[in-house]
Amino acid sequence: MKITAEPGVVPDLDRPRGRGGLLWDTIRRQKAASVGAAIIFTFLILAVFAPLLAPSGPRTQVGPVYGPLSAQHWLGLDDGGIDMVSLLFYGARISMIVGAAAALVATVIGGLIGITAGYVGGRVDGFLMRVTDYFLVIPDLVLMIVIAAIWGPALTHIILVIGLLLWTSTARIVRAQVMSVRERVYVKRARSLGCSHLRIVFRHVLPQIAPLLIANVVLTVAVAIFDETALAFLGLSDPTAISWGTIIEHGFLRQAVSYGAWWAIVPPGICVALLIMGCYLFGQAIEDALNPRLKVAHLSIKGFKVRPADGGKP
Amino acid sequence: MAVRGTDYVLKRLFFALITVFVAVTINFVLFRMLPGSAVANLARVPHASPALKAELTREFGLDKPMWQQYVIYLGQLAHLHMGVSWVSDSHQPVWHYLRGKLANTIPMAALGTAVAIVIGIASGVLSAWRRGSKSDHVSTNIAIAFYAVPTQWLALMLLILFAGVLPANGMHDPFAVGASGWASFVDTMKHMILPSTAFALTLYGEYTLIVRSSMLETLGEDYVLTARAKGLSSWAVVRTHAARNAMLPTTTLIALSLGYIVAGAILIETVFTWPGIGLATYQAVVSQDYPVLQGTFLILTISVVFFNLLADLLYYKLDPRISA
Amino acid sequence: MTALLEVEDLHVWFELPHRGELHAVQGVSFSLDPGERMGLVGESGCGKTTSILALMGLLPPNASVQGRVRIDGVDIMAGGEESIRPHRWREVAMVFQGAMNALNPVQRVGTQIIEPMELHGFASGDAAVRRTGELLELVGIPAAAADRYPHEFSGGMRQRAAIAMALACEPKILLADEPTTALDVMVQAQILELLKSLSAELGLALVLVTHDLPVVAQVCQRAAVMYAGRIAEAGPIDVLFHEPRHPYTRLLFAATPDLYGDQQVVSIPGAPPRLDQEMVGCPFRDRCDVVMDVCATVDPALVDVGVDAGPSHLAACHRNDVVSSV
Repeated sequence: MKITAEPGVVPDLDRPRGRGGLLWDTIRRQKAASVGAAIIFTFLILAVFAPLLAPSGPRTQVGPVYGPLSAQHWLGLDDGGIDMVSLLFYGARISMIVGAAAALVATVIGGLIGITAGYVGGRVDGFLMRVTDYFLVIPDLVLMIVIAAIWGPALTHIILVIGLLLWTSTARIVRAQVMSVRERVYVKRARSLGCSHLRIVFRHVLPQIAPLLIANVVLTVAVAIFDETALAFLGLSDPTAISWGTIIEHGFLRQAVSYGAWWAIVPPGICVALLIMGCYLFGQAIEDALNPRLKVAHLSIKGFKVRPADGGKP
Repeated sequence: MAVRGTDYVLKRLFFALITVFVAVTINFVLFRMLPGSAVANLARVPHASPALKAELTREFGLDKPMWQQYVIYLGQLAHLHMGVSWVSDSHQPVWHYLRGKLANTIPMAALGTAVAIVIGIASGVLSAWRRGSKSDHVSTNIAIAFYAVPTQWLALMLLILFAGVLPANGMHDPFAVGASGWASFVDTMKHMILPSTAFALTLYGEYTLIVRSSMLETLGEDYVLTARAKGLSSWAVVRTHAARNAMLPTTTLIALSLGYIVAGAILIETVFTWPGIGLATYQAVVSQDYPVLQGTFLILTISVVFFNLLADLLYYKLDPRISA
Repeated sequence: MTALLEVEDLHVWFELPHRGELHAVQGVSFSLDPGERMGLVGESGCGKTTSILALMGLLPPNASVQGRVRIDGVDIMAGGEESIRPHRWREVAMVFQGAMNALNPVQRVGTQIIEPMELHGFASGDAAVRRTGELLELVGIPAAAADRYPHEFSGGMRQRAAIAMALACEPKILLADEPTTALDVMVQAQILELLKSLSAELGLALVLVTHDLPVVAQVCQRAAVMYAGRIAEAGPIDVLFHEPRHPYTRLLFAATPDLYGDQQVVSIPGAPPRLDQEMVGCPFRDRCDVVMDVCATVDPALVDVGVDAGPSHLAACHRNDVVSSV
């Protein structure tokens, strides 16, 4: 699952502006971005405060197998008689941690490769981009399955496996930005003043690419969560961990459908979908705001307006 | 100009071959070289008799140095020797086993993908054309929703909703023995409805978003303004100028979604027990049947590379700037 | 006698995303007879491109238009997009800046020229193909080039093809927006000569938008100088050069030492006023070297300052009031 957006052009700002300005601007102005941010934030709160908010523990049996919806248990019970609502709260933690950590790994790898390729250029760039292309084509999930199957089930394994395959889009975007920023006047000025390459990268290049990088990280988190859910479904995640993915897996393996216990499967899926939607809305809104090519449209449904000659507005 | 075109085709072909080579090497590294690796560690083969162990050692050259094993491995692959399944009673050769499974997956996946592409293009174009309108927002948000939903969950939802109405298990009705060719075909088609629908629904969202984005960029190009200046109606501009140009990056991006299609196959076939290569992958994971797992990885990767190459060639055909 | 093209009091506003609007064109008026060639000159952002786009109704949905645009006496603007569309390409056609992107890269050039012919019922089938060949020859391209794609053409040839395409339906008026900006000097001269001779041969009225004064001098008989959305001065080319009656015109032309050379317009210090705020008085006053007190409070009207019995020479500057009142 991958949306490979074309790298947008970095707006040519006179001075490297901090990322705070552009981000907050976009969040305030674009409805999609604020909705996305709100969803992410809500789930974050639910996950962090799970022990306080959840009605009961994630491993505490409070009723029969696949107990139905009731006043005490709004979403029924799972195959172990555990309250589904509590499971969702605690499941949020692992799902989001794995998603964020994997995205972090992917971003670090992708960022390093992208910066190196973009800044150094030449043969190094050519080589790194070849490698990136190979990894782009090889189907992610299949390779993840194979590695996870051999390596064995553990959360750290899952995080690394996902992170090791999701860096490609980050690398491409970072490389494009670095190449465009590298030619900017103030960078050349810094070079002529004798600034070391490292310093240039950190003080001049990074702040410029930061907004797009953040958008990319958020979008990567969305994919990472999707992949974790898939790997868990196939039985490759840590069996002791509770994530939305493992909840769906248990429901599937323990015949929830035959029991008619849809509540063991539907809610966790909705949670995953909502969180991924939130990440997508937020990340894509920022990317779109940074892409000048999307601003002009020579065609639209509404036409221009004509004002009557007396000067009043129609 | 012709030289440039052929150049491009050769380059893409070469790239495809190298990618397959990389995948093959990754396979080798994972399964043979890593410590405790699956094939080398014969203790993992369930119920392996000494005779079988000796046979495996001989066949894979497990007592030889690593580079020699690699060469043997490449040679075997060239002859489609992918080892034997550790699980099935007859220790069926992997390739024969998976070949049949692949044949089951292809029609089901192709149907779902084709429907997804058609719906995706239609809704993407309409959304971009009516940018900002209510229908654009609704269409786009629905597409995002379907894109965000985990594939296996979507399949399970269809299962829950339609289990009584449509066949939701396997490819054939196990009780229809000795049915005529036509009846058998219809039966298979009926079984294909749910899994293909799951495929279509899980893919169309991403395609809508890709096409819409591509269209929006195209609509900002100068030749669109020229077309409007000539007096074409909005719809005529979209149809004759914008859509065709927007298809170019769309082809590339759809090709990049092939990995997603493969992932979908695995998840959907598992839910519906459709006897294809996706289900075979799942079963191989569960039963730790590593030769089969290797086999599915290779076959799926090569399929993706192949279709990617097809997409490259299609792009080459569509864009006169390359083929001239 | 009505002129071929009459633009009366044209205004264009653009709604800004977060409040307010940009008054991009503020009461532009001019007229053209068949065969007349007029230049529309000014700095970027002065509203010249928006003005000619407005003539064809090629404005985005956030635009509002006011005024009259009459072709052969018929007001084509009155009904908005719907009333303008039938006239596009048929009576008034346009050549855009940088035919690099103005031509569809995945369609053959011939197809793109035939398209408007068939659309407007002007010609179809073999007749259209033949006419396409004739048009290409007319602009100096071999007819066989119709089967090629735009990227196979050089920049100059592409622009010629764009001109051929513009002439497809025998329009009476041709609008050209910076048609030679992206081309090198030699090619530039050829294209301009082409436009001039087409206008003379076909009786085509031409509006040439540019910031490049020598271009205007080579092609046009008249010019209108725009500033901040308004016409500052308009009149015959040599009159504008020798007897400018607006400080902006004077500074522009004075800054170009050799009118017939290849000098670009040298920018005047300062910047044009913001068009999203209503302005009182003369928009040029902050950069004017002969500004007076009245300039800050009273809008100068565009008045005839020409010598009697000559072609009209209009200027919007209070200095002319002073002169004529003496």
